[in-house]
Amino acid sequence: MIFKVDDKFERSFIVSNKIYEGFLSIFNDNNPLHTDQQFAIMNGFREKVMHGNILNGFVSYFIGECLPIKNVIIHKQEIKFNNPVYLNDNLFFEAIVTDVFESVNAVEFKFNFKNEALKMVAKGEIQIGIL
Amino acid sequence: MQKEEILRSVNNIFIDTLDNEEIILTYDTTADDVEDWDSLNHIQLVVAVEKKFKIRFTSQEILGWNNVGEMIDCILKKDI
Repeated sequence: MIFKVDDKFERSFIVSNKIYEGFLSIFNDNNPLHTDQQFAIMNGFREKVMHGNILNGFVSYFIGECLPIKNVIIHKQEIKFNNPVYLNDNLFFEAIVTDVFESVNAVEFKFNFKNEALKMVAKGEIQIGIL
Repeated sequence: MQKEEILRSVNNIFIDTLDNEEIILTYDTTADDVEDWDSLNHIQLVVAVEKKFKIRFTSQEILGWNNVGEMIDCILKKDI
């Protein structure tokens, strides 16, 4: 097994305009919280809020592209959004192996995203299988 | 822990994992008898059993199981 408990992986991601616009154009979630600055401000946010599920895209990239092996598949994933993410936020991602199940080639991680102020914006758990 | 007690615990794991309150396992139950006990859910069931009993199986042990009773015998051998 290539993974062991407490293995840590780190990465940073920028929620760029390209990613934001791409998400909008592909999924058509044009809710005003994500597209209307005034609406977002009136609802207590600094500016329009990025879609939380953009972060799930980063998690997908991490599992698919950043691990030391490519023969992996996501079995299940949970995420909790703690604080808003804004356009051009630079997010620091950290994932730690919390459990390894060699009998079924499964590995569990806890992960979190923090913004530049080191405030947690999202955290979650993911289980992958090694093919 | 007695075999019957383990069966009840494993039954609860199956109910939670497969989200099916109607599951009633016996020692002779096989994957063919339980709706949704497919290969992906099998992984989740094994992970849940390993967590619950704080044990680890080997892949060889798992491959040797023909029914729930053999899974439970394997758990009993782990000296829980």
